[in-house]
Amino acid sequence: MSLGLVTTITLLYVGLLFTVAYMADSRQRISSLIANPAVYSLSLAVYFTSWTFYGSVGRAATSGLDFLPTYLGPTLIAFTWWFLLRKMVRISKEQNIVSIADFISSRYGKSASLGAVVTIFAVLGIMPYIALQLKAISTSFNLICPPEATGYSADTALAMAVLLSLFSVLFGARHLSTTERHEGMVAAIALESLVKIVAFVAVGLFVTFGLFDGFGDIFNRFLNQFPERADLLLMETAQIPYTSWFTLTFVAMMAIMFLPRQFHIMVIENTDEKHILSAMWGFPAYMFLLNLFVIPIALGGLLINQGDVSGADYFVLSLPLQHDYPALALLVFVGGFSASAGMVMVEAVALSTMILNHLIMPVILKLRFDMVDFSGLLIHLKRLGIVAVIFLGYFYCHVIGDSYALINIGLTSFLAATQFAPALIGGLYWRRANGRAALVGLCLGFIVWFYTLLIPSFVRSGWLDTHILENGPFHIALLKPLELFGLSGFDIWTHALFWTLFFNLGAFLALSLLTPAPESELEQREKFINAFGLSRQPQERQRISKAPSIIEFVDLMTKFIGEKQAHTAIANYVGDREIDERGSLSEFELPNLKRFAERTLAGSVGAAPARIIIENYLEARGSQMEDVFDIFGSVNLSRTSSREQLSVLYEAARVVASGDELQQILDNILDLFIQQFKFDLCVIRLIDIEKKTLTVRSQRGMSSLHLGESERELTQETYIGSTYLNNSVVVINDSDFMEKAKSAQIIHREGIKSFAHAPIAIEGEVIGVISAFSRSVKGVFTSEFVELFTSLAGQVGVAWRNAQQTERIITAREHEREMQIAKTIQLGLLPARTPDLKGIDLAGICVPAHQVGGDYYDYLLRDDGTLDLVIADVSGHNIGAALLMVEARTFIQSRARSLSSPSLIMAELNRFFYDDLTRSELFITLFYLTFDPKTRIATYASAGHNPPLLWRAATRTIERLDAEGLILGVRPTVTFDQEQVDMLSGDLLLLYTDGITEAENDQGEFFGDERLCALLDEFHALAASEIREQMLHQVRLFTGIHHFKDDVSLVIMRIDGETSG
Amino acid sequence: MKNWQPGHLREAWVLCFILGVVMLNYPFLQIFNKPTLIFGIPLLVLYFLVGWPISILVIYLFSRFLATPHAPTSPTEDEEE
Repeated sequence: MSLGLVTTITLLYVGLLFTVAYMADSRQRISSLIANPAVYSLSLAVYFTSWTFYGSVGRAATSGLDFLPTYLGPTLIAFTWWFLLRKMVRISKEQNIVSIADFISSRYGKSASLGAVVTIFAVLGIMPYIALQLKAISTSFNLICPPEATGYSADTALAMAVLLSLFSVLFGARHLSTTERHEGMVAAIALESLVKIVAFVAVGLFVTFGLFDGFGDIFNRFLNQFPERADLLLMETAQIPYTSWFTLTFVAMMAIMFLPRQFHIMVIENTDEKHILSAMWGFPAYMFLLNLFVIPIALGGLLINQGDVSGADYFVLSLPLQHDYPALALLVFVGGFSASAGMVMVEAVALSTMILNHLIMPVILKLRFDMVDFSGLLIHLKRLGIVAVIFLGYFYCHVIGDSYALINIGLTSFLAATQFAPALIGGLYWRRANGRAALVGLCLGFIVWFYTLLIPSFVRSGWLDTHILENGPFHIALLKPLELFGLSGFDIWTHALFWTLFFNLGAFLALSLLTPAPESELEQREKFINAFGLSRQPQERQRISKAPSIIEFVDLMTKFIGEKQAHTAIANYVGDREIDERGSLSEFELPNLKRFAERTLAGSVGAAPARIIIENYLEARGSQMEDVFDIFGSVNLSRTSSREQLSVLYEAARVVASGDELQQILDNILDLFIQQFKFDLCVIRLIDIEKKTLTVRSQRGMSSLHLGESERELTQETYIGSTYLNNSVVVINDSDFMEKAKSAQIIHREGIKSFAHAPIAIEGEVIGVISAFSRSVKGVFTSEFVELFTSLAGQVGVAWRNAQQTERIITAREHEREMQIAKTIQLGLLPARTPDLKGIDLAGICVPAHQVGGDYYDYLLRDDGTLDLVIADVSGHNIGAALLMVEARTFIQSRARSLSSPSLIMAELNRFFYDDLTRSELFITLFYLTFDPKTRIATYASAGHNPPLLWRAATRTIERLDAEGLILGVRPTVTFDQEQVDMLSGDLLLLYTDGITEAENDQGEFFGDERLCALLDEFHALAASEIREQMLHQVRLFTGIHHFKDDVSLVIMRIDGETSG
Repeated sequence: MKNWQPGHLREAWVLCFILGVVMLNYPFLQIFNKPTLIFGIPLLVLYFLVGWPISILVIYLFSRFLATPHAPTSPTEDEEE
């Protein structure tokens, strides 16, 4: 075939790929072309390189079925993708991870050393694989247009290296991306995969059905022609023992997951987790289709070439050529080219990303080039990295030529990728896994890998003396690379797999078990292991002192990812966040911004360098991430904080409910506070209504006259004042930035770094302020803490209200006790017993409505044998009334005997009481009666009192004893009429106060004196005391309640037969 | 399958994976490792030609089930640690 045709077709094909890639790239912003499960499944087929495109047939023709495990392994591991791969994708998306080195390094606390180690091993393990691809393209090119026929002598491998470098740079590193996704490249890869399968299946159909008569025909003819080669279709043969079958299957499982290019395509370039579902069956189906024709082509090739296996590796290409199907051959060539090109591009991009992020960036950052804009340098370095990787492959291929090293490099690479498995899978599911263990395991694994695989291949390539293989280095047989520690009887792959994993996995497990994970890895560990957990915002434990502004963060990002990218990123970030009045993010948002900037940078330079960049930057401008003082006194704040918070609140509630005195409660709460949060000073001030100041009620911690002991005016000029007046929390996390000069002065004098005031309010009313001061730490007051602080202020409010209520109850109790005493005294002032007079039956009672009352009755026995009866009613039932009653009694008891008649006594009483009564706005009604037992004449006077009732036994009628007279205290001088009445045997006299007649029932009716008269008539036969009880009983029946609303007093006198002095 | 709990589903995956590993290794393969021809195709080759598509079909059915709305597509459900 002509050189020009092949070159033209190849260039046209490259042009097509370029167009597709360009279209996908330009459509990126509108709708992603590769955001499609079919494209994702196809792009995974980058696994299928020219090593397998051509090599599978060669392997099938020479050793038999052992080409299959390379594809069966991925089919099996696809069962786990919905869990394993999806978890990897989820984590990578959330953390903006860009490569497998980045992934492993991120899991172990963004360890720079792990990233570097993984990168070095990946390059060492994979770079020769690139050489193999270049070699395959060049060989196939030479097959399709043999140099001897066309007369050219160009270095096709070099040409391919240049072409692929160009292509990779164009689509892998056109600009610095913040996501490291390359839509164009993926689209090109998917198209190539399509071409690969079409080409291969076309050859398969051509051989099976064109050259032969179907599957059965090929097997039949093969077994007839080469019966001695029947073992190619069997297992457990010399070439395919079951152990090596297992080894190859296992290694292929690991390779599909952890080869850098597979990781890149499957994880980093994944646009939607759901695509995994389709890829899980789509990709195995693709592999099945490809492998369907491997055996027919291999056997057919052997039949056609008379059993010659020398050209078996290129049967796919040579069979169409032999049978003069140049178009098909060209298609196959393009397919093989696709297989190589795809692999080289993705591998180069993935490796160059790793080299840049984990080898070059750390050096750049260490040297601290002082450049305004790194982004240009970085993108050039990345392009350089891609070209370097491809050309390293080219030189490798050039130097070692057709040696043994090249042939087996595919599986050697697979085994290299397998070394990443323990650290990666262990890190995804095992909490104890730690970075040191991963690092040691990886290093041991690679040393053994090098020793058991590369050394033998170097020997067979003739670079090393064969005696190493035969006798071991320094004649130590135990160290023979192919029979390490005497383990013999296995093929090279099984042997290497066993020993590499033995050391790698062994060290990883042992060290993880023996050493604890360092603090710095814990956060990342949780993010990886709980990738599917509820995405809770991490608890902010740090704050930035002298924090950079948003603009400064943008400038920093611009330096590394370019202005446009930086601005787009920050616009997305700020979009849905609250910005305070000064146009900046809140203090609690700043660490998030820092994290965001780090994450954005990570998308372009990898996690570990991004961390270093941000830290260096902050350090350079003098700001620091200060650990927020561990407010809850526990190591793992983020996971247990709410419980700790609850426990403090619970403790505070316990203090409040303790029933201690307010002072004790306030002191205890502050003690709890100081003890839990290590503040230097805590103060509670409560409002003093009269002085209109906030007065210190409790103070704990350092003694400070200004902060802790002095009162505060209620003004907006101090933070405390404004806290009280505005009923809002004030938090100053950095005392260097204060707006209120008056407060600033005091705060600075006392060396306070941060403080907070919270209003103590109860039912919306502010009653004081609780304050906490820290001398040692800035930024103590996180939003979470402020919440707690406010809750505690609420508790103090409750304590205060409880105390207020208790005080009221105590006052009331004391009052009641006093009243009880007054009642006892007052009742004691009433006659303790009735005078024992012959023929006179007396009974009296006073039932006060309240503890003390204004009713009064008394009996007075004069020396001449006359009996005085008094009944009085002071208006009101309070202490004043009681005191007047006492006064009246005192007057009567001391003066009445010296005054001869009731009217005189009344006049004297009036004069005596006038001033007191006028002053107290009270008045007294009083009835005074003198009864002479000898004459049975009763003389009486009344000061506006209810006329007593006299029941006449003879006529059974009632007389009312009325006498003119003003109530006492109305005028200074009053003349009282005095009346007389004869009392006969059996007559009943009832003196009463209006408490009885005005007793009300529930219909609003008064008891009235009509009923009283009727009662007197009804019960006249009873003894005076019995009549009294009946009266009270009947009144209570009438009102329906036991308790009287007004004081009730009764005096009953009955004349029985003969009376005498 | 409709009433399957997420835990069941995950166990089923693991079971299929293990089953696959067993069926593609010694000693299971030994069953088919015979120089017999069926329909003119060696038994072992036929085994792969049939067994492989079946395993792909199983994955396909699983993924179809996962893709339907009632399936636990919410990752927290089927990935509880």
